[in-house]
Amino acid sequence: MPDLSAPSISYLGLAPVLIVLGAACIGVLVEAFVPRHLRWNAQVSLALLGTVGALAAVILVAGRNELTAARAVAVDGAALFIEGTIAALGALSILMFAERALDPAKSAFVASAALPVGSSADRKLATAPYSQTEVFPLASFAIGGMMLFAASNNLLVMFVALEVLSLPLYLICGMARRRRLLSQESAVKYFLLGSFASAFFLYGLALIYGYSGTVDLGEIREVAARSGASDALFVTGLALLIVGLLFKAGIAPFHAWTPDVYQGAPTAVTALMASCTKVAAFGAILRLLYVGFGTSEWTWRPLIYTIAIVSMVVGAILGITQTDVKRMLAYSSIAHAGFLLVGVIALGDAATAGRGLSSTLFYLLTYGLTTVGGFAVVTLVRDGDGEATHLSKWAGLASRSPLTAAVMTLFLLGLAGLPLTSGFTGKFAVFRAAIDDGAWPLVVVALLASAIAAFFYLRLVVLMYFSAPAEDGPTVGVPGLPTTIVLAVTAAATVILGLAPGAVLDLAEQAAVLVG
Amino acid sequence: MLNPYIPIVGLFALAAAFALFSVAAAPYIGPRRYNKAKVDAYECGIEPVDQPLGGARFPVKYYLTAMLFIIFDIEIIFLYPWAVANDSLGLFGLIEMVLFIGTVFIAYAYVWRRGGLEWD
Amino acid sequence: MSNLAAESPTLADFGTDVWWIIVIKVVGIFALLVALTLFAILFERKVVGRMQQRIGPNRVGPRGGLQSLADGLKLAFKEDIMPALADKPIYFLAPVIAAVPAFLAFSVIPIGPIVSIFGERTPLQLTDLPVGVLIVLACSAMGVYGIVLAGWASGSTYPLLGSLRSAAQMISYEIAMGLSIVAVFLYAGTMSTSGIVEAQESGSEVSAFGLNFDGPGWYAVVLPVSFIIYCIAVVGETNRAPFDLPEAESELVGGFHTEYSSLKFALFYLAEYINMVTVSALAATLFLGGWRAPWPISIWDGANSGWWPVLWFIGKVILGLFVFTWLRATLPRMRYDQFMRFGWKVLVPVALLWILVVATMRVLSREYDFNAGDIALYVGIPVLVLVMAVVWLWPDKAPDPTVKEGVPPTTRGAFPTPPLDLVVPPSPPLIKRDAVAAGKRGGGKRA
Repeated sequence: MPDLSAPSISYLGLAPVLIVLGAACIGVLVEAFVPRHLRWNAQVSLALLGTVGALAAVILVAGRNELTAARAVAVDGAALFIEGTIAALGALSILMFAERALDPAKSAFVASAALPVGSSADRKLATAPYSQTEVFPLASFAIGGMMLFAASNNLLVMFVALEVLSLPLYLICGMARRRRLLSQESAVKYFLLGSFASAFFLYGLALIYGYSGTVDLGEIREVAARSGASDALFVTGLALLIVGLLFKAGIAPFHAWTPDVYQGAPTAVTALMASCTKVAAFGAILRLLYVGFGTSEWTWRPLIYTIAIVSMVVGAILGITQTDVKRMLAYSSIAHAGFLLVGVIALGDAATAGRGLSSTLFYLLTYGLTTVGGFAVVTLVRDGDGEATHLSKWAGLASRSPLTAAVMTLFLLGLAGLPLTSGFTGKFAVFRAAIDDGAWPLVVVALLASAIAAFFYLRLVVLMYFSAPAEDGPTVGVPGLPTTIVLAVTAAATVILGLAPGAVLDLAEQAAVLVG
Repeated sequence: MLNPYIPIVGLFALAAAFALFSVAAAPYIGPRRYNKAKVDAYECGIEPVDQPLGGARFPVKYYLTAMLFIIFDIEIIFLYPWAVANDSLGLFGLIEMVLFIGTVFIAYAYVWRRGGLEWD
Repeated sequence: MSNLAAESPTLADFGTDVWWIIVIKVVGIFALLVALTLFAILFERKVVGRMQQRIGPNRVGPRGGLQSLADGLKLAFKEDIMPALADKPIYFLAPVIAAVPAFLAFSVIPIGPIVSIFGERTPLQLTDLPVGVLIVLACSAMGVYGIVLAGWASGSTYPLLGSLRSAAQMISYEIAMGLSIVAVFLYAGTMSTSGIVEAQESGSEVSAFGLNFDGPGWYAVVLPVSFIIYCIAVVGETNRAPFDLPEAESELVGGFHTEYSSLKFALFYLAEYINMVTVSALAATLFLGGWRAPWPISIWDGANSGWWPVLWFIGKVILGLFVFTWLRATLPRMRYDQFMRFGWKVLVPVALLWILVVATMRVLSREYDFNAGDIALYVGIPVLVLVMAVVWLWPDKAPDPTVKEGVPPTTRGAFPTPPLDLVVPPSPPLIKRDAVAAGKRGGGKRA
């Protein structure tokens, strides 16, 4: 019997993740034991408590730099910054989940997800006043998984976290109350393609383990440094791992699922996916590349370089052809993923890591906030069939509801990266870091892509302000308190981070530490 | 030293030879008297109904049972090494295992309350 | 015996046999299993006969002793039917898939201590591994494939239903079985079967009320809850009465092997009985001290050495077979929903809680130097009394006045079952005849 010794676990360092997952577990119990009419309020408060509690815990433990649980989880600046970002964005998304004023049936989620679409029982339930409150614990599980995903210093833990974040998302994608078939289609697509991505990741993990004999990122780096990293196993494994992560982040050429899933999923879920999943996936990419494979940059740097260009170009050009607001935002997210990869490239070697890492972290925050805001506006514009997402329905929106159009314009300008918005400061920080690092061709491409992408953002602005409103146009719902809070916070953040980003940038500078 | 699995392979070979011989020999040892009714599906005397190709649709309960089985089987797989190493893991192992079993119990309670364990 | 310790094999004693010893052991295990199967079938029929005030088979051989051999030979000379709708390759292979793992499961069961065969010292056990018991579990899980494939490949309704039921039942009870032996691993600190037998050699010293005496080493005594759960679970696992729902004759004809005949059917039969033998042997190994002699015999020093232990081991296996038979003769078959409910809602949570209790006790007794016996005595018994009191004093659930007696609740869309007090209308010819004969008769109700 080999002598086993118990690892030490820093529960305080893990508190952010544990709080969210704990809230999710209690949520399952609530679902099991609390009567139906009390569930909604209980679940909403629990899920919010979990995410806000996690945010508080992040602030509490900020400044730690350590590895815990037998080196499996990192508690360092970058991990905590990303955990905090995910918790904040997750809380905003859950507020969108909790919106009751917009849909006439009081919730954007289906009353009983298991019924076949179009059956008489399903039609009867379309107007049922209750809904599947499981979405809240599921979202909490997903958020907890995302936080762990970005903090894991061990490929196995990373894989488990990947599954924890993915499986609930697959499910809640299929739970829209309106347009059920589209929603279920998106869930199945996401599930199938996501399983492939998980399998890729797992194969990569196995190959890397075969190469190095360890799943610990720090040890992999040491083994790779010793042997010069020329083994076919190593390169193949790394490529497969990267494919898995790029899929989760929705980066071209692994983006095919993004538009369909973003369009079909309930908009609140889309907001969660577009913001939190992206942040988490980039957290994992950063950690994997710089902690695990930092000494073998030549293997992945050209790859990431190319993929960044492809993603920016694909996102920007295909975005132009879209006629649906949600799909348009999906392509925008693909383009933004490319911009973020510019930041990943710009990390450089360990000596100058600060600039690139901090700018990427900052960009993730600004992009996440603006995107959540954009999707929140999408939930407001409705017609008889739910949300009116076709571009033609948005024509002349400004004359119907000037405030909605103004807020949407703000978010679109932020996404386009125009000055005085957070998008500009984020892009500026990332591009400057890239130029410092010598990646100026990439920056040129990024600027061109930004210009192309700006076209379709501005087209929507023009459509809202300078077109005649359609005859049978949509109504603009009056948001309840939750969505109002989301809109206020995200709009304020878009402006403030654009005008005075100094404090947050400093925070990101301080947080730019990767241990392991 | 011999691999301790080799005797198992030996027993496997013997058992497989015996079983394969039995199924292969059966048609030759016994009588063969063709009758169409014999090769029909057994239906207690009424006209047999052809089974849909590739099996019929099963009640969803079976899938649910299969999924629950996987969850609990994985739990067991985690319990075994812990049980064997319990003496060296001590209080830490116990606390972690209580947390783990508690977490599975949460899912179990949910399934129970939602009627996932009912057969009717 | 001077070197009693050297008699019990350890893991290092395995994998050292010469090839002809392995051949002897393989053939021996095979022969033992076939012989035990033939014996078990006869034994079961005899015992059931006695329990039903009959004699049982008594024609073939001395006192009917060759009955099962005759049955086996008769099966071999029956016609082998391949149903027209069967999926031929799978139909052909399913009996093999069911039978082979049944044999393999026995490979890690310790039958005796180290003995000398033609001058070679070797443990009476085919082989052992650090994960020994997992082999048994893996083999019993593989057997499910044989059953499912048999039912599916038959191309017929009853076998399909039977095999599905069987699979659901076996995997459900496998959970309970797997959980029940966790506590054994906790105590033994190993999963190797020979190690577990050795760990049961002697119990810990128990001091109660100022008296010191050697506690029993058998895990059936140390871990009674585990033992009970194991016993119940394996009855479900082997599809035996009262849990023989996959073969419920009244509902499913013969279950998954309805379409099988001749030697293919014989293989399923063989597999079922070998599985019974295997789980009895595993019960003996894990809970009843393995090949070690039970108490009154163990006073004799030579009881645990040489070839004698084979006798004790076979005796324990036959005891297990007797319990199987006893259950079959005594208990009526359970309903499927009751059966699944029992497995999932009683056995699984009880097993999990028991594991926690055992682990907590063990850790506390080591970390804080409590005596496990003391804890069991001063904590366990009050808790037990408390639980018993609660169970007894718990108010009985008042009958629900909304449920009408005798009328099964049918919801729309549920499977249509006839009400228990169904009044069957008389058939039209009868009405006509009765009307002609004597006017009217009201309904077809009897009394």
